[in-house]
Amino acid sequence: MNISSAIIHALPGDVAVVQAGLATLAGVEVHAISPDGKLIVTIETDDDGSNVATYERIGQLDGVMSTAMVYHQTESEPDKEI
Amino acid sequence: MKLTRREFIKTNAIAAAATTAGMSIPGVALAAAPQSQDGVRWDKGVCRYCGTGCGVLVGVKDGRVVATQGDPDAPVNKGLNCVKGYFLSKIMYGKDRLTRPLLRMKDGKFDKNGEFAPISWDAAFDIMAEKVKATLKEPTQGPYGVAMFGSGQWTVWEGYAAAKLMKAGFRSNSIDPNARHCMASAVAGFMRTFGIDEPMGCYDDAEHADVFALWGSNMAEMHPILWSRITNRRLTANHVRIHVLSTFTHRSCELADNELIFKPQSDLAILNYICNYIIQNKAVNQDFVKKNVGFFKGVTDIGYGLRPNHPLEQVANNNGYPGADGKPKGDPNKHAPITFDEFAKFVSEYTLDKAHEISGVPKDKLEALAKAYADPKVKVTSYWTMGFNQHTRGTWVNNMIYNVHLLVGKISEPGNSPFSLTGQPSACGTAREVGTFAHRLPADLVVMNPKHREFAEKAWKLPAGTIPPTPGYHAVLQSRMLKDGKIGFYWTSTTNNMQAGPNINGEIYPGWRNPKAFVVVSDVYPTVSAMSADLILPCAMWMEKEGMFGNAERRGQMWRQQVKAPGESRSDLWQYMEFSKRFKVEDVWPADLLAKAPELKGKTLYDVLYANGQVNKFPKEELAKVNAHAWAGYTNDESEAFGFYVQKGLFEEYAGFGRGHAHDLADFDTYHKVRGLRWPVVDGKETLWRFREGYDPYVKKGEGVKFYGYPDGKAKIFALPYQPAAESPDKEFDLWLCTGRVLEHWHTGSMTRRAPELYKAFPDAVVWMHPKDAEKRGLKRNDVVKVSTRRGDIELRVDTKGRNKPPEGLIFIPFFDEHRLVNKLTLDATCPISKETDFKKCAAKVVKA
Repeated sequence: MNISSAIIHALPGDVAVVQAGLATLAGVEVHAISPDGKLIVTIETDDDGSNVATYERIGQLDGVMSTAMVYHQTESEPDKEI
Repeated sequence: MKLTRREFIKTNAIAAAATTAGMSIPGVALAAAPQSQDGVRWDKGVCRYCGTGCGVLVGVKDGRVVATQGDPDAPVNKGLNCVKGYFLSKIMYGKDRLTRPLLRMKDGKFDKNGEFAPISWDAAFDIMAEKVKATLKEPTQGPYGVAMFGSGQWTVWEGYAAAKLMKAGFRSNSIDPNARHCMASAVAGFMRTFGIDEPMGCYDDAEHADVFALWGSNMAEMHPILWSRITNRRLTANHVRIHVLSTFTHRSCELADNELIFKPQSDLAILNYICNYIIQNKAVNQDFVKKNVGFFKGVTDIGYGLRPNHPLEQVANNNGYPGADGKPKGDPNKHAPITFDEFAKFVSEYTLDKAHEISGVPKDKLEALAKAYADPKVKVTSYWTMGFNQHTRGTWVNNMIYNVHLLVGKISEPGNSPFSLTGQPSACGTAREVGTFAHRLPADLVVMNPKHREFAEKAWKLPAGTIPPTPGYHAVLQSRMLKDGKIGFYWTSTTNNMQAGPNINGEIYPGWRNPKAFVVVSDVYPTVSAMSADLILPCAMWMEKEGMFGNAERRGQMWRQQVKAPGESRSDLWQYMEFSKRFKVEDVWPADLLAKAPELKGKTLYDVLYANGQVNKFPKEELAKVNAHAWAGYTNDESEAFGFYVQKGLFEEYAGFGRGHAHDLADFDTYHKVRGLRWPVVDGKETLWRFREGYDPYVKKGEGVKFYGYPDGKAKIFALPYQPAAESPDKEFDLWLCTGRVLEHWHTGSMTRRAPELYKAFPDAVVWMHPKDAEKRGLKRNDVVKVSTRRGDIELRVDTKGRNKPPEGLIFIPFFDEHRLVNKLTLDATCPISKETDFKKCAAKVVKA
């Protein structure tokens, strides 16, 4: 599976709209929001195709000005304990 | 508390993002950089894709790259990555990776029409050496018939080793990078205006400018990380404004305050109008202009870089082609001094009315843009990419954006910056700085200049006269010469010209399949080019070799070899050096040259070029020493193969060209420790803004601004007119065809399309079209259509919505899709000065398939 994190930059007035849009996307979780419109999200998917599609859908949400990925890792045994 | 791997990774991912965004999250510790734990070793690296040059941290586990993270310590991207960064850990692991040399064979022998079969490296080099030697002896081919096509994806030392092998070894200047298709016009623009290559500003301009103007650049999709810096500036400083100029509406327009959709080619008229506006409104920075600028008028009937028998070339008197008397018809680069008043008169005809009429842009939008450039209180940064560079007047349009910035003195200081972006990770570092063009040598030297050749020959410890004085075949000319049988041996690497080059049907394919040519493709995947070759050599890529790239802001960055290449794959560097052992100097040099250096008799090209006492100066023990701060016992495959620190030796010999000549690089060891440095690096200090006192060590105290690329210390403003494109829509071919990229795929998709799942994300190229144009042709969204030009046709689906919105009369098709080769349709017209193809303009028609 793929786990990645991203910073989404929204127009400050549109944060609520963006948040609502993100809630409709599978595997996307919002972890923090800054006053100037930055959202920290993680994206978990089982295959590469849906991960990229998710980024594409985030980019198309109303109010989203830019999306930048920060961290990405593939993991074949996600449920194993460390 | 027990933690699953999923939770552990997620926590790392959140911490990295929060740190990068400068935010704190309860319960999540901030981490500046990931620690080597959980069996993953982290080290610094550079992204493999575009010219932005983002720093990435690379996580290796069990000999494989398993994770990447935007490098929080990298000044370029400050921890961010674009979505393509997501594929970085996967680009090396496509299922169809090439791992053995493959030769077209029939009955156990080479046959141009045979099937690919595995052979050994030894056998591959045997047949290559045989073909090179035959080409050198063939009177219709000779040394220039030995040709190489590389790219801005070569590492610095690969490009350097290749250029040396070609220009000094085989004595052929027929080496060119695919950067010719990408930013040759930017180079020619810099050389003509400033006498020295590469941007004066840097990415820090993004945090200082009040106005950004994008000219033929969709940064939101093609340079997303720089775009995020601009977005940040726009959203955090209320006065900042963004102007986007394009021939169609795209993603970058979403953030635009002023969107200017202009008719193809009319950027020339808009730029002259802005100069006229500045002059009419008395906004010229008189002191700056008097001290720092000279005015010139360029010749105008320069043709379109087509074959000499094309009607457009026969009427051009300054295209430089042989005329009826066999002598060159003028020189497209010629220009003569004029006065400021003459320049003012020249641009005075480009009134607002005329600019509007030619460009189709509403007058208020044109005026708003001109006003921003003219206002002395507003700092303006202009960015451009292929819209300017891939242009039959690409050199002119580069000159003309500098005209605007120079007239108002908005240059070489924070926020005031004309900035040419690049598309490849080392277009600047390798193609330009190393000088892998058909006319260039390292550090802006050129083969046509006897003093430059002498400098290079001395630096390489070679006899005078080794480097030939005439430019070799450039990219488009290589295709033509292959078709005409003038090239007998052709070696390409780190590029995919059978997909990316223009006019595949008319020139490239017939050229490669010409029985007089032997074509070698070094690649990592079976690209369209590899499958069209006679011999395929499997390569090491990215983190499978030690490398250095140079990005668009003059920043050189190095990385260590992280993992092994699969099977028998070898780096391009190993290929050039090992192949050079196949030639004795006597095989390739004429007797009179060798007589000047009798000590070289009996030596191989390897001895002469690489084991020359300079390149092999640093023993193998240096690898562990230089990189001890990263991990213990470091080594790399090339140094193991040749027995010395190959990369360090090549780098230090190369760096000798630029040190003391305004192209200073730091020492090799430093680059392995820092997150890149912007040249010139003098006394350990990098240069952010060139040509200005206080920033640039080459500008002395009291000089203020000095454009020291020219001996008089001045830059040139050029009077140049608007002229039509080489091919415009007519009754039969009634649409403009523009080509380019999409976010998900990088160039021809040979890396980004490797994950089969990607077909889901952006599977096939589509043709974007205005809904009214579709309706007129009886087409609905998703219909399969046939797009044709005078050169060929392809079938694909039509899209009338989505991210790209062309105006009526223009269609856009991306070039990443090997099953829908849009370059079968494009015209191989070039800028006659830069020789760069115009991939943005030709005439096409669309019918239902």
